[in-house]
Amino acid sequence: MSVPSSRTSLTRLAPWIMVLPSVIFTVLLIGFPIVYVIYLMFTKWAPGSSFWGLPFVGLDNVKATFKDVLFWKSTWITLKISAISLFFEVVLGTYLGILLSKSVKGIKVLRVLFFFPAIVPSVAAGMVWVQLYDPSLGFLNYVLQTFHLPAGTWLNDPESVIYALSIVDIWQWTPFIAMIVLGGIQALPEDPYEAAYMDGASKTQALFYITLPMLKQTILIALMLRSVDMLRIFDTIYVMTQGGPINSSTSLNIYGYQQGFLYTSMGKASTAMLFLLLIVMTISFLLTRWRKRYV
Amino acid sequence: MRNLKINLAASLSVFMLLTSACSSGGTGNKPAASPPPTTAENKPAQTGFDWKQFSGQKISLLANKQPWITTLEPHIKEFEQLTGIKVNTMIFPEDQVRQKALISLQASSDEFDVFMSLKSREGLQYYNSGFYENLDGYVTNAKITSPDFDVKDFFEGPLNGEKIKGNLVGLPINVEGPVLYYNKELFQKYGAEVPKTLDEIETAAKKIVDGSKGQIHGVTLRGLPGALPFTFGNFIYNNGKTWFDDGKPNFQDPTRIKAIQQYADLAKKYGPPGVVQYSFYQSSALFAQGKVAMEIESTNELNSIIDPKNSRVIDKTGVVPVPPGPGGSKLTQLQWGLSINKFAKNKEAAWLFMQWATSKEMQLEMALNGIASPRKSTWDNEKFKSSMDTPLKQQWVEALKFIMANANPDVGPPAEDQAQVRQLIGEMVDKVILGDKTAEEAAKEADAKLTEVLNKK
Repeated sequence: MSVPSSRTSLTRLAPWIMVLPSVIFTVLLIGFPIVYVIYLMFTKWAPGSSFWGLPFVGLDNVKATFKDVLFWKSTWITLKISAISLFFEVVLGTYLGILLSKSVKGIKVLRVLFFFPAIVPSVAAGMVWVQLYDPSLGFLNYVLQTFHLPAGTWLNDPESVIYALSIVDIWQWTPFIAMIVLGGIQALPEDPYEAAYMDGASKTQALFYITLPMLKQTILIALMLRSVDMLRIFDTIYVMTQGGPINSSTSLNIYGYQQGFLYTSMGKASTAMLFLLLIVMTISFLLTRWRKRYV
Repeated sequence: MRNLKINLAASLSVFMLLTSACSSGGTGNKPAASPPPTTAENKPAQTGFDWKQFSGQKISLLANKQPWITTLEPHIKEFEQLTGIKVNTMIFPEDQVRQKALISLQASSDEFDVFMSLKSREGLQYYNSGFYENLDGYVTNAKITSPDFDVKDFFEGPLNGEKIKGNLVGLPINVEGPVLYYNKELFQKYGAEVPKTLDEIETAAKKIVDGSKGQIHGVTLRGLPGALPFTFGNFIYNNGKTWFDDGKPNFQDPTRIKAIQQYADLAKKYGPPGVVQYSFYQSSALFAQGKVAMEIESTNELNSIIDPKNSRVIDKTGVVPVPPGPGGSKLTQLQWGLSINKFAKNKEAAWLFMQWATSKEMQLEMALNGIASPRKSTWDNEKFKSSMDTPLKQQWVEALKFIMANANPDVGPPAEDQAQVRQLIGEMVDKVILGDKTAEEAAKEADAKLTEVLNKK
């Protein structure tokens, strides 16, 4: 008890003081925008109005958003494009990850090459794909016509635009999933395989009864990382179609952008963005619970 | 080459007539500088106007990446020499500039003093929000306005376009309007006539598509919803109507239905696949490759169409104003303008920059690089006239003069929510192009949606 009390309190406070900068940073950078978005949701904003002290309008913005056909269409488009892309990314990514785990000559070079699309900035990739997809001057239709296959209108047709955008996303993010899976495979223990081969298991059986079940955790983590990102898709769509043709590729994020920055309806934009946040949180929550079942 | 030019340019200040007429008109090639005229004196000495009065101040310019700024940028050093004002330029694509401007102005930020603004789009909204500095008092103030500035030299159309509710809030930096580019070679090959009326566009397109068995598209035009009104509006005007009836949307009017049908038929039957997502960029690329016989676009696209780097139609192109219809010829005239940020710190220095950038000398320099001038003096300038040395460029000058004489300043209907209103009009026409709806159904839906948007305020 000979220790002065000020020192004990300082020792107790030390960890708090140490984390204080990051706490303040987090509150300012994440907490404040969310608070302000909620504020905008219940007020009427117009260009030229002040930061605080906006007129309170109750649930008008929320009602207007939920009445907007385009808002529900955007929600559907977001879920649709995410589901298509995620499904193929996980299936192809897992397959590719297993292939890349084989020890053949030159595999290291292949791994680097396959990872390339994931390090290209989305905007740059989008710009290149727009050129490839162009219905009249694009390389893709040129190749198809060379082989006497029907040419597509790709991004310029309401029917096909979602699939065309998914292809770009799959091209870009499959390697990312593959790399995570590859890391998982390299960390797998040897013993189960040895035991299985002793008992006369075939390679196929080893894959389905050992590798894949043991990779479940890894695949789910990859799926979670990607789905959170995927639901917030913006850059590729903004670069390639701006949400067109006739709002056939308006994801929720694009919808929020249009309402907020083009039509200056900040209330609707805020509502849509909070709704998106809710979707993202729900889906990550479900995936986390699903993962825990396998622990 | 460029450095040499700038060094020379720095040594004189009145006549910036440095670049010899550059015959290709492209913004990319800088011809060799001619020696400075020996008669040049210093501007202050000549006019008594003090260009140096705000020396030491700094201003920022927010501009869209387009030929205007590309041509102006190398000359900014000359302005800095002349005035002692330091200029910082921020250049982004048009969409990003619009966002940045809105966010900054909203926050009453002074991060830029001068900005490029499209009055026909955001003018009313910005004006009502109090974002523009009113320039009427600047023009009449002899202390900060050079006697050489000559505001009366601007054409009435573009200058009025920079006025909102009678107040001058900007200065025009260019003029543009809708024209019909056509590929002379294809027209000759398939025996088509250059359209003299709106209806004849379809006749010519049909002839070429049938003649080439669909290998060549008839016509390309704007389909991207937000961009479409600029080219579509002329189909309404030339059928003898304006956008709205007494401020109310009425696209179900038979004449307007006809205009929608006309535009949609051109796109659907004779346009390239996927035209609903086309803007000037895609249309001009297709035309420059010789894969489409006609293009309805802005006069501004001339340089992209005859760009020596990737055009196959340089000597094969002709251009006429969008042809008249039953209602004669009223064509959308558009001008880009410079404005001063209401919240800027150095407004007077910014005003000197605006004067310099829109001066007779600079507008001539722009015009020699294919940017149509909003000043009368440019068009009468011998140097400019002699630079228009190809039949195509002469046609282009004639088309612009015709557009300015028959101008209609409304790119979209009169409404504060320009962006949303234009989007809805574009979607209406696109639904007809895609065959989702008949013109009557689409018009009915658009009228309802537009009414809702207009009543929102």
